[in-house]
Amino acid sequence: MTATAQDLLPATRNALSLLLLAMADDEFVIGFSDSEWTGIAPLLEEDVAMSSLAQDELGHAQALYRLLAELVDDGRNADAIAFDRPPEGYYHARLLDHPRGDWADTIARRFLYDTADSVRLEALAEGSWPPLADLVGKIRREERYHLLHVGAWFERLAAADGEPRRRLLDALGRLAPDAATVLAPLPDELGLVLAGIADATSDELEARWEARIRPTFERLDLPMPPPARDPGRSRTDHSDAFRWLHGEFTAVRRLDREATW
Amino acid sequence: MTDSPPLDRPATPTPDGHTLEPWEVFRQEKEGDPMRHGGSVMAPDPELAVHYARELFGRRQESVRLWIVRRSDIHDLDDVDLLQPPLDRSFKKPGGYVMRDKLAAARERSGTKKPKARSR
Amino acid sequence: MTDPIALDPVLSPTERSRLPFNEEGRSHDQRFDLFEAHVTGGGKVEAGDWMPDEYRTSVLRFVEMHANSELMGVLPEREWLMRAPTLRRKLALTAKVQDEVGHAQLLYRVAEDLGKPREAMFDDLLAGKTKFHNVFHYPTRSWADVGVIAWLVDAAAIVAQQALRDSSYAPYARTMRKICWEESVHIMHGRDVVVTMVNGTAEQRAMIQEALDRWWGPLMQMHGPRSDRAKDRDIHWRIKAKTSEELRQEFLSIYVPRVWELGLSLPDPELRLDEATGEWGYTEPDWNELRTVVTNHGPKSEERLEFRRLNREQTKWVRDTLLAAPGVAA
Repeated sequence: MTATAQDLLPATRNALSLLLLAMADDEFVIGFSDSEWTGIAPLLEEDVAMSSLAQDELGHAQALYRLLAELVDDGRNADAIAFDRPPEGYYHARLLDHPRGDWADTIARRFLYDTADSVRLEALAEGSWPPLADLVGKIRREERYHLLHVGAWFERLAAADGEPRRRLLDALGRLAPDAATVLAPLPDELGLVLAGIADATSDELEARWEARIRPTFERLDLPMPPPARDPGRSRTDHSDAFRWLHGEFTAVRRLDREATW
Repeated sequence: MTDSPPLDRPATPTPDGHTLEPWEVFRQEKEGDPMRHGGSVMAPDPELAVHYARELFGRRQESVRLWIVRRSDIHDLDDVDLLQPPLDRSFKKPGGYVMRDKLAAARERSGTKKPKARSR
Repeated sequence: MTDPIALDPVLSPTERSRLPFNEEGRSHDQRFDLFEAHVTGGGKVEAGDWMPDEYRTSVLRFVEMHANSELMGVLPEREWLMRAPTLRRKLALTAKVQDEVGHAQLLYRVAEDLGKPREAMFDDLLAGKTKFHNVFHYPTRSWADVGVIAWLVDAAAIVAQQALRDSSYAPYARTMRKICWEESVHIMHGRDVVVTMVNGTAEQRAMIQEALDRWWGPLMQMHGPRSDRAKDRDIHWRIKAKTSEELRQEFLSIYVPRVWELGLSLPDPELRLDEATGEWGYTEPDWNELRTVVTNHGPKSEERLEFRRLNREQTKWVRDTLLAAPGVAA
């Protein structure tokens, strides 16, 4: 294992690798999914903007997979971890199992995800394991733009009478029940708190997230997302939509996993 | 930009109650060139702003065109996180594609030679 | 096509300009002659200048086709966005397609300032009244196509675009400089994909060769049939500087050696350089195929246009949202 990982207790290493996998898979799946808008977004200028957001997420996923690869040190590189698992082996939150849908679906899903992710990143920003704290610092700086851009669209859709608001409400109706899955408890997360890597458990993070988004939801007269139902299965039992995505992103790689592309 | 970022100071009133405010001047040096920032002038209205811009940036025939814009109409973005985000973006830049070794390997495998350099 | 009389200059006319054809007091014929002398003498034109209808229509047609091609060119590569086999390739391909959309935005903006609204251009494209380049009417069949397109289709395009960097219509010329810089990265990415596969397994090499065999015909047709320089109005107005044949020769002289360098073959037994003349000989491209394809009878023409029509309808509500209420500050 790498020098930095040697400083960690085995139990901490296990909990950390699950956290990294959860975060990396979240960024990978939402990044892949939203990259589908490239070339077909509602406005040319918005097309370029949404594509940047998707690329940023994929860049974050790549950096997180690399860190994970160093940590587990089992011969796999970032691409092997990212691409070479069966659908059941992915650990992303159920919120991201929903397909990209229409523009309202995408904005609703991004708003719910980016606000939750922001709370998660904040809790890791001062952590005791430097490789993760450093990376989280960089990711947070890039995520600022995401919150600005997606937040502006969320407001715009919610505040517009008629079709835009109706579509947003429809989207929230479908997505909000799964919003809290991003911050659902991870196995052995208490160990991460005790090791100083995270500053709070998931329950506390979920409370912070609710407090953070409540003013916006109240001001826009939108129903708050409920707590996660069945939190133990927030990151498993993936959807058909994800299976389709998996089929796509493995299509070329499956031709020859050993080949260099 | 040829001078420091715009300062947030209030416009200066003239004796008869109009306010002087800064106008940024962009100039085109020769035909077909892009507009480049030249500097700024203080003026109470568009007409005088244009006259002063001409004096400051055009009296020597050094420009073929000027754009004069109220500083308060300009939205400034210098946020380093938005303009220089920290993670790797080499896949968007020429430096991200160093191919010398790969090309050499391909030539070796197929027994070909490097194409002659062309003079354009 | 839009009636040229209906195109209004975007900026208001001037009383006294450095350029005499801008002066309101002169007759149309005087202004035409002054304009022609200016442009054929190497002078530049900006969006707010007076232009004869022939010039305005010619530039608009040229820029519009270019913009349409960027927009439609996105579609063949988009299919492979979701299938990129590594994170780096995924990022590079997404960034490339994003750039094409960005180029479409830049070019539609240039065209809009000549007097035709963006929505009218989309209407004409989707109704089949305006055209886009032949290469974007063909299917993609494998990941190898992604490499070949990014390398050689973009290369053929950049050869044309570099020659436009000094176009008489200055907004277009400036846009070409930005586009050329961005396209140069695409070409490197494409070449990297191809070289990587050529250095890989036998199956990967075969995939590349197969893609090359399919794309060579459309590539040879891309710059168009030979035309008489003396009769070419776009050259007369200095909108473009090089003929189709000059562009094709330039493309062949740079890229054929680079393809052969990799041990790949090209499916034209007549393709060779005449050392004495410096000219490349080749089998005459199928100009019937080109005509058929660019009039929207290519293998994927209708499918892609229909895809865009549907996409445009489905996203209309979002554009309407932007046009409705005043913006909420970010």
